[in-house]
Amino acid sequence: MFEFINQSHVRSVRGVLLAALAVLAGCTSTTVDEFRQGETGIASDEAVVILGRRQASDYETRSEFVQCVGDRMARGEGAINVVPEQEFVDAMFPWFEPRTAPLRTRDLEQLMAENVVAEKMSEFGIRYIVWLDGFTETTDRQGSISCTIGPGGGGCFGFGTWEDDANFDARVWDVGSLTNVGTINTDATGQSYLPALVVPIPLIARVEANACSRLATQLKDFVNGS
Amino acid sequence: MSSAKFLIRLAALLGLTFLVGCGVSTVTIEGSFPTPNISKLPLNVAVYYDQSLRDFAYMEYSETGAQEFNVQSGQSHIALFNAVLPAMFDGVVVIDSLDDAVAAEVDAVFTPLIEEFQLALPTKTKLDVYEVWIKYNMRLATAEGDYIADWVLTSYGKTPTETFRSTEAAINDAAVVALRDLASSFSLSFAQVPEVRDWLAQL
Repeated sequence: MFEFINQSHVRSVRGVLLAALAVLAGCTSTTVDEFRQGETGIASDEAVVILGRRQASDYETRSEFVQCVGDRMARGEGAINVVPEQEFVDAMFPWFEPRTAPLRTRDLEQLMAENVVAEKMSEFGIRYIVWLDGFTETTDRQGSISCTIGPGGGGCFGFGTWEDDANFDARVWDVGSLTNVGTINTDATGQSYLPALVVPIPLIARVEANACSRLATQLKDFVNGS
Repeated sequence: MSSAKFLIRLAALLGLTFLVGCGVSTVTIEGSFPTPNISKLPLNVAVYYDQSLRDFAYMEYSETGAQEFNVQSGQSHIALFNAVLPAMFDGVVVIDSLDDAVAAEVDAVFTPLIEEFQLALPTKTKLDVYEVWIKYNMRLATAEGDYIADWVLTSYGKTPTETFRSTEAAINDAAVVALRDLASSFSLSFAQVPEVRDWLAQL
């Protein structure tokens, strides 16, 4: 009888805990700021290339994030032709490497004076270059989980939590006018939880995925001029 | 008796496993290098890959002084120069000896050498990036062996740490970025090296 009550009690506590954590795991907040400096618009035969900034010494914009934003911009309503980052950088080699990539629109102007660069740019039909710069940081790690294994089986017990903060800037350069036409900043934060009652159950806040989705949507609207 | 043999075998196997786990890990740098999009110089150049470049390897030691990673990058450097040089000059030939330069009827002989190689691992730097830094000595001489230019180039590459990527793969990726950096700075700065610029002006 006592064993039954105990097991039933554990089950309901586990259920409540899981439900509460599942709700909490959804708590990712994303803020998008747009600063427009010029008119935009794109024709159907024009394309956008999204490039990650890799000049910082202690971090670099992950190519997976760049690809995520590109993929999302290339589908759905108002889809835009997006040239894959690696294909563009390889075709433009050595002009868009971390050491040689233009940091300002003035540098792009100089770069476009090179015939080989201008020709390749026109071949791809590039209208806008989007520079992504940022990273996801994990902070406030708390809690601990211990796992044991023995002849009768194994299990984990404990609780861990941490906060993720994804902050990315997107600068949009118009290759036609050689100007910076706007900047979009995305900041997404979220708390992840890892409770372990025999089995660890990760409840991960999809911070970077949310940042990617919101940034891509905003960029698509921005480039389309809507 | 058979039980004793089994125990000895088991101990030997465990010992070997332990030794293998502690052994040096060899990383042979592999990557593809695009052809640079630059204007060619109207020159016929011979390139000589010294044996020290062909066999170049760097050994990274652990904090206890044990051999940890053997990074072999000689062949990848040759692959890189073979991709870059034909895009920079009208004609490029690889020579096996500096004595072959005159017979090759070239304007200059180019000899790249690696002077220094450094590797920075996150376990030691406490940063979330793997870094590779390479210092080169580039030499340019006439076919007869007369000095034209001798300059130093450095290249740098880094790659962030990722959850499901091995240290060996990360070292390879950082080295490939460093090699691309070498290719970009070498191809774009070649004609700006003061001695090379003066020599080109005389031609």
